[in-house]
Amino acid sequence: MTMLPTALPGAKRLGLVIDLDTCVGCHACAVSCKEWNSGGEAGPLPDYDPRGSEPDGVWFNRVHSYEAAEQGCSRTVNLPRSCMHCEDALCVTVCPTGASYKRAEDGIVLIDPEICIGCKLCSWACPYGAREFDEQAGVMRKCTLCVDRIYDKSLPEAEREPACVAACPTRARHFGDLGDPESRVSKLVAARGGKDLLPELGYRPTNKYLPARTARIPTASKPAPQEGDGVGAALLRLLDRVLSR
Amino acid sequence: MRPAASVLLLTTLTGFAYGLLAWTGVYALLGLLPAAPRFATAGTTLGLLIASFGLGASALHLGRADRAWRAFSQWRSSWLSREAVGAVLTYPIAILFLLALRWDHGGIAMRLLGAAVAVMALGTVYCTAMIYASLKPIRQWHNPHTAPDYLIYAAFSGALLFALLHAVLVGGSAPIFVIVPMTAAIALLAKRAYWRHVDAQTPFASLASAIGLAKEVDVRALDAPHFTENYVLREMGFTIARRHSGRLRRIALGLAFAAPLVLSILAGLSMAPLAATAAAVACAALGLLTERWLFFAEATHVSALYYGRVV
Repeated sequence: MTMLPTALPGAKRLGLVIDLDTCVGCHACAVSCKEWNSGGEAGPLPDYDPRGSEPDGVWFNRVHSYEAAEQGCSRTVNLPRSCMHCEDALCVTVCPTGASYKRAEDGIVLIDPEICIGCKLCSWACPYGAREFDEQAGVMRKCTLCVDRIYDKSLPEAEREPACVAACPTRARHFGDLGDPESRVSKLVAARGGKDLLPELGYRPTNKYLPARTARIPTASKPAPQEGDGVGAALLRLLDRVLSR
Repeated sequence: MRPAASVLLLTTLTGFAYGLLAWTGVYALLGLLPAAPRFATAGTTLGLLIASFGLGASALHLGRADRAWRAFSQWRSSWLSREAVGAVLTYPIAILFLLALRWDHGGIAMRLLGAAVAVMALGTVYCTAMIYASLKPIRQWHNPHTAPDYLIYAAFSGALLFALLHAVLVGGSAPIFVIVPMTAAIALLAKRAYWRHVDAQTPFASLASAIGLAKEVDVRALDAPHFTENYVLREMGFTIARRHSGRLRRIALGLAFAAPLVLSILAGLSMAPLAATAAAVACAALGLLTERWLFFAEATHVSALYYGRVV
């Protein structure tokens, strides 16, 4: 059913909190995600031309790097991007078949690969680019928040978290219930001023991003090459010309 | 957005088809059909046939066309599902209309069924338009122009087909030869208004807000996740031929609307009505395909921001 579920009071809203201040952009989360979901319930995740010159395939999580400049200071911001498990998930309501759905009990957005007809409309509806088409199976794929892991009673309790969270070497990724204001992740969001991505589009994403600190060291502007009139400068110019040959 | 041939064919052909069905239905409702009963029969049959081709083409777009029947279930939330339901429900109603044309020509049943056919046809076109108009990440689609424009193009292209049938079966002098240039002019103005709107539009979002930063922060993409293209970039980051868009827009306007406008006026003045209308239909088909190609190719998707693209 592609109507969004009515939020039950006290229902869980599982999601990720990603700390952009500590993310070093190592792609471990993306690789771990790919590995787990190639073998888990969601698998296999297709790869096209994996050993060729144009490797391509489905990834649920991709890490971008940006340069952000503000008041003469600039910094690198690494941004892991995956499904935000939105409250107002347009990808769910546009689905003509009911394959794309949001779970009432924990807010996870999933695709039923047995029902999906591969019309791709849900990927057009997602502003985060979180859905990728599986050319081999002819159906759409997306992050499952490792639903086949987080509820698996056969795993030790400490391992019942998404593969990306478990893999992060800087503990920049946190998993928990964002519907409960007393949860560890909610408190983290409140303390650090966690942000929604693309808030102006109104999807109300569940995942939150903790902002990177503001850069305080001015970006050194390259000093202009020193040019003088003296004998020394003339010698250096000569040397430069000789060496440039 | 990548202009997939299947979707271009679907929206263009169903525009012609449902436009023709709508005009035939409206003519039946108002009792304006030419006396020869075969005219409306031919119009309805041709409409259903072209619509079937368009819908068939759209099935090629699906990754799992064998499950296409599932698309009828989510009409409560999905415009795509509503379009599918509308398209399929149009068939039995149009078939009843065909029966009424034979057994009740000019009667009340024929008139009411004609109205029903027109409502279903235009309703289906509206659903198609709303698929695009409802997509918030695409500013060139998510605006007040998209839905009325699709209806206008359907009314225009349908009227043109109607005029061709008229020229073939009845002759060149009829009110439809006034309607066609009028709808062509409206369509031309609507397309120009649409381009003015999207050219002046402010983007829905910036790269800074896409990565959770204040809008004053100057952000540029350093490294993409992978060195090669991926699904998101192929499907949503389509940039080919945007630099030819000025020329393509002129071609689209000329072929889709201006040429049929002139040709249908010539036809209305009984100057080779058959040849003029046939040429007008050919021009309009090519022009509308170009127009639809641009509708996709010029559309930008917010997700391409993450890759440093301009949207």
